[in-house]
Amino acid sequence: MIYQAAIDESFPVAEPPTQVARLRSSDPAALAEAVGQYQHRLYRYFLRLVRDAATADDLFQQTWLHVVRQLHRYDSTRSFDTWLFAIAHNAAMDLLRRRPNERLEDYEFALPAGTADAFSTVLAGERAAILAAAMAELPALYREALTLRFEEGMKLEEIAEVTHTPLSTVKSRVRRGLEALKQKICKEDIV
Amino acid sequence: MSDHESVRELLALSAAGLLDAGEERLVRDHARQCAACTAELDDYATLSAGLSALPSPPPPADLVRRTSVLMAAEKDRRQGAFLAAAAAIFAFVFVLLIGQTLRILEGDSAAMVWLAWAFVSSMLGTAAALALAARRCLERSTI
Repeated sequence: MIYQAAIDESFPVAEPPTQVARLRSSDPAALAEAVGQYQHRLYRYFLRLVRDAATADDLFQQTWLHVVRQLHRYDSTRSFDTWLFAIAHNAAMDLLRRRPNERLEDYEFALPAGTADAFSTVLAGERAAILAAAMAELPALYREALTLRFEEGMKLEEIAEVTHTPLSTVKSRVRRGLEALKQKICKEDIV
Repeated sequence: MSDHESVRELLALSAAGLLDAGEERLVRDHARQCAACTAELDDYATLSAGLSALPSPPPPADLVRRTSVLMAAEKDRRQGAFLAAAAAIFAFVFVLLIGQTLRILEGDSAAMVWLAWAFVSSMLGTAAALALAARRCLERSTI
């Protein structure tokens, strides 16, 4: 079945970098290398969350400054990815909580029934553009759960660690995020 | 809640690969007999595959360079703070040692005069250091 292709193990998950020891010694070359290595993933994560290139740029720099300040606290037996994204999560949430019109989580919807044909038709066309637009309208915490799961390929436990939430909450956010996306895409087709 | 309804709530998580083995089996067993759930599962699978394949917006070309410059400046600042703290501790010990030496060689009054001057100059130095630190904090907060 199609859904087997979407299930986790094949997702690209970056290995923890080997230069952690060099990072700890604040080797400038290692720091620049790490920034380069994570630039696409981290920038994408911020862009999905804040939906604004300039803010994503600022958060990216803030995150790495925080890394320089907190590197001595990093436990090298744990995943560097998860530690880095947890710092990024904190920076993004601090900013989003200050935005007056930002919905973090609350979202009301009812699952549409019997819309499979409409759904497939929409996705068969401009899939990426439609998906990206629909995702941008979701509450921030759903966007975050979906991007960490599907774009970063993180496991349930890793997402929970990054977002400092229980596993059940992560599951709930992914489920509600997917359901809301489905609903939005179906609605778009109706319009 | 009927089986159909309870399985329906698991469909999105199944497509996301976030169910445990027992739940996954439940979903698959039910989907084999339920056309509606099979169709919905396919929708979520399509959605999941689409999310995994969303194009990544490229970061600005100079983002790595700008970030590296900031990080190097932060590293310098931290080294500077460490050196300043070490120098302050050394100066404190040095002042006490000189005071003690003067007390032995010249008596209490000479030692007190030395300590008073040292106190005044160290207060001025501390005030200047705090003003500089406050200015650096302000600069950092505007980044």
